[in-house]
This record gives sequence, structure tokens and C-alpha cells, in this order.
Amino acid sequence: MKNRIADLRAERSWTQADLAQRVGVSRQSINSIETGKFDPSLPVAFRLAALFDLTIEDIFIDDQLRA
Amino acid sequence: MSVHRETAGYQNQNRSTFHLVLWTFAWTATLAAARFGPELVWDAEQQPVASWAAVAINVLAGIAWIVAFARFLRALDDLWRKVMQDALAVTLGVGWVVGFAYIVTEAAGLVAYDLDIGLFPAVLGVVYMVTVAVGMIRYR
Repeated sequence: MKNRIADLRAERSWTQADLAQRVGVSRQSINSIETGKFDPSLPVAFRLAALFDLTIEDIFIDDQLRA
Repeated sequence: MSVHRETAGYQNQNRSTFHLVLWTFAWTATLAAARFGPELVWDAEQQPVASWAAVAINVLAGIAWIVAFARFLRALDDLWRKVMQDALAVTLGVGWVVGFAYIVTEAAGLVAYDLDIGLFPAVLGVVYMVTVAVGMIRYR
């Protein structure tokens, strides 16, 4: 699943550690989510959406759904 | 709010990690007592109750360790929980495959010597640690 987290984070000049602290997960989690190695749970997705003031669909793009 | 959540999350994770370490030491110590106590501390033939008590205490410590490990897993964040669950899945798989392979080879008379059963959990421990390390490298 693709996502815009790296772009959204860069717009705010946050490091992965900054974002991890704000969302309440490890830095490795943010890195793995950004690189597509790991899909976050629904609670984490909601926290990311709330943090960026967007909807989950604005942040995450389901490749299979679009195909 | 997010900082509060983060702090609370880390506190919960640290507390569950501390409890897991504590119960790991407790289980190891009671295991050592149950294993070596009959030889070094009391006479197993004269005091079988002491041996049974040592085993019972070890099992109780083991149950507490299992509860502590489950709480530790629940306190982890999503990624680390996945790393641990993957490692547990591999360890369980290796345990079943190797265990049953040994049972059938022994039943078929293909094994010329008896393996020490104590080797089995030690192998599973090594498999678990290696797979956790692989997961940590994969998601670093």
C-alpha cells in the first residue's frame, strides 16, 4: 500500500523520529510504513490522519483497489 | 495529547519489559532450583516433597512468565509486535517440524542415539532469537 507520509512529513520539516513521537510509535515503524514494508493498524492510520488533518484515504492509496 | 500518548505508551512498554525480565529471571532461578536442588540442597529420596514443591514453584513462575510475555507483546507498537509474532510463528513451525521429524525417525529406528530432550527448547530459543534479529534488521 502506497502512502504520502514522507511528503507530508517533509512539508512540515519533521524527521521520522519527530513523527514517531507525535503518533506514539517507534521510528522504525514510521520508516517501514513510508517505505511500504509495513501497513499500519487502523488506530495508527487514524492518528496519522488526525495529525495531518486529512482523511485516511488522502494519505493511503490502496493499489489493489485502484487497479 | 500525542506527547502524553507517547509517554504513556513508553511507560507501559517499559513496565511490561521490566516485568518480563523479572519473571524470566524468576523462572530461570526456580528452574535451576528444581534441577539442581535435589542433588545439591536436599536429598531427593528423603525429601520428595521438596522436589515436588520446587517443580510446582517453577511451573507457577512459568505461568507468570507466560502472562508477562503476553502483556509485553500487547504493549509493543504494531511493528515490533509483528516482528515478535513472525518470530513466534517461525519458532512454532520449526518446533513442530523438527519435533515430529525426530519422533518419526526415532520410531523408524533411524536414530542410533537418544537426544537430550533439554536440547529441544534450547534450539527453539536460538531460532526465536535469530528470527527476531532478522526482523529487526529487516525493519530497521
